[in-house]
Amino acid sequence: MKKTLSIIAAILMGSALLFASGGKDKTATSSSKLSGTYTFGGSTTVQPIANSAIEQFVKANPDVKITYEGLGSGTGLKQLAQGTVTLAGSSRELKQSELDADLVPVVIARDAITVVVNKDISVANLSKDQLAGIYAGTITSWKEVGGSDEAIVVVNRDETSGTYGTFKELVLDPKKLEYTKNAIVAKENGEVAAKVASTPGSIGYVGLAFVEEVVKAGGKALSIDGVEASVATTLDGSYGLSRNLYMATKGAAVEGSVEKAFMDYILSARGAVIVKEAGYIPLK
Amino acid sequence: MKKAGRIFETGLEKIFLICALISITSVVLMSIFIFRQGLPLFAHVSVADFLFSTDWNPSRTENPGYGILSFIVGALYVTFLSLLIAVPIGIATGIFLSEMAGKRVGGFLRATVELLAGIPSVIYGLFGIALVVPLIRRLGGNGYSVLSASIILAIMTLPTIINMTEVSVRMVPQELREGSWALGATKWQTIAGVLLPAAKSGIITGVVLGMGRALGETMAVLLVGGNAPIMPTGPLSMVRTLTMNIITDMAYAEGVHLTSLFTTAVVLFIFILALNLFIQLVLKNAVKEQQE
Repeated sequence: MKKTLSIIAAILMGSALLFASGGKDKTATSSSKLSGTYTFGGSTTVQPIANSAIEQFVKANPDVKITYEGLGSGTGLKQLAQGTVTLAGSSRELKQSELDADLVPVVIARDAITVVVNKDISVANLSKDQLAGIYAGTITSWKEVGGSDEAIVVVNRDETSGTYGTFKELVLDPKKLEYTKNAIVAKENGEVAAKVASTPGSIGYVGLAFVEEVVKAGGKALSIDGVEASVATTLDGSYGLSRNLYMATKGAAVEGSVEKAFMDYILSARGAVIVKEAGYIPLK
Repeated sequence: MKKAGRIFETGLEKIFLICALISITSVVLMSIFIFRQGLPLFAHVSVADFLFSTDWNPSRTENPGYGILSFIVGALYVTFLSLLIAVPIGIATGIFLSEMAGKRVGGFLRATVELLAGIPSVIYGLFGIALVVPLIRRLGGNGYSVLSASIILAIMTLPTIINMTEVSVRMVPQELREGSWALGATKWQTIAGVLLPAAKSGIITGVVLGMGRALGETMAVLLVGGNAPIMPTGPLSMVRTLTMNIITDMAYAEGVHLTSLFTTAVVLFIFILALNLFIQLVLKNAVKEQQE
């Protein structure tokens, strides 16, 4: 008898806790009830942020259903203009034609890539042009960029990685160059760190979040055009290998809409954690 | 009681049959799945462009390239070079274990070889990065190379070749050995002239099994091969094999790119299938020879 009583008590207490937490969630999601089904889409770079943010956002707003389709920045913005999606992620600045179509971008995070080298390299700084030359395969010796007479071992990422795409966009595309194929291909930021640290003469690139790992493994970070990579230089825009990540709506997002609430969520302190986990830099 | 026994027997038989069917079904399902995922590629890319082009660039926005010739060549290059290293060592070790090693030395060696077979491939890869790659770097290049991958694969295929050689040499009837000695043959003459020919089919099977392992190995070669999508020009050149190509892009690939990875798997699958058929053929011939 005593046993059953205690079990019942335990169940009651458990459910009380459950209800309490449920209630708390409701109050936290603001008074206006958001509901409906929404399709967002666009940049695959923004996708990791969007997906984890959606997961959390939907938990807090159970009546809302959101999907984010990885269409690429251009296609996403086009579909936003046409009304197929109501919010588009973009990893590039909006073009004038897109701004003219009444698309309004909001910066949600920043992205930066750090160039790392093996510790035997005496070069401490590269210009963006030199970097492009190295990754296109036209510069093959450290001597050509002010170092010792040693062959450059290029470490690249796999083609499907977002970092690969970003690096290409920021370094090679402006000069209309393609990556050299004569490069070690690493699957992860961590593998780049390991290979650069253990291979003399090597150069690689990683997301800003991984620099520590490279340094710990025995490599070092280079500055680009005289600017060192850091959260500060990324946020003020002085570091050359950084860019904004955007979310755009058609017309400025209306207060009380799901789109506005979603962007506010990403810009909140909780959103900052998501952004960081996705490997990008939150604005605050 | 007798009846119950019979029911138990037939029940057991059915259970064993079902178990046998499970493995057959999984092979069939796997083949169907891989081919269904991979073959649609040929709606976008011609078979010749896929198999005989070295232009691999699936993420190029205009006119992407899906040629895997470099990876086929890379896989075969690495496999044969590794066999070149592993076969002499493996056969010699197998013969030593069967014919010459004493109980203590033999037991110790056998245990070591078994340990070698049980080590996970990623450990081989890390060993390669730490030891083999820096060593090869002294010969030239950056160390991540065909040769590094081959050396690691050779070590990995050794247990198969050693075991198969030892077992099949041991199984040669004692009378053959004694006959050879009675004719005044030395130990070396007996091994080269009698034992090896008699154990031929078993040794070949071991080599082909080792070849299958080398061709299908992924993790170890991924860590030491360099993974550059280029045609290997020599043993010091970087290499990407079929398995490396599949695993490198699999995580995020989409659309035709993803399909092309499955098609790469189809090619690998056909290679392995051909190897297995070859083994069957060898064994069948051996049985026939023995009967004659």
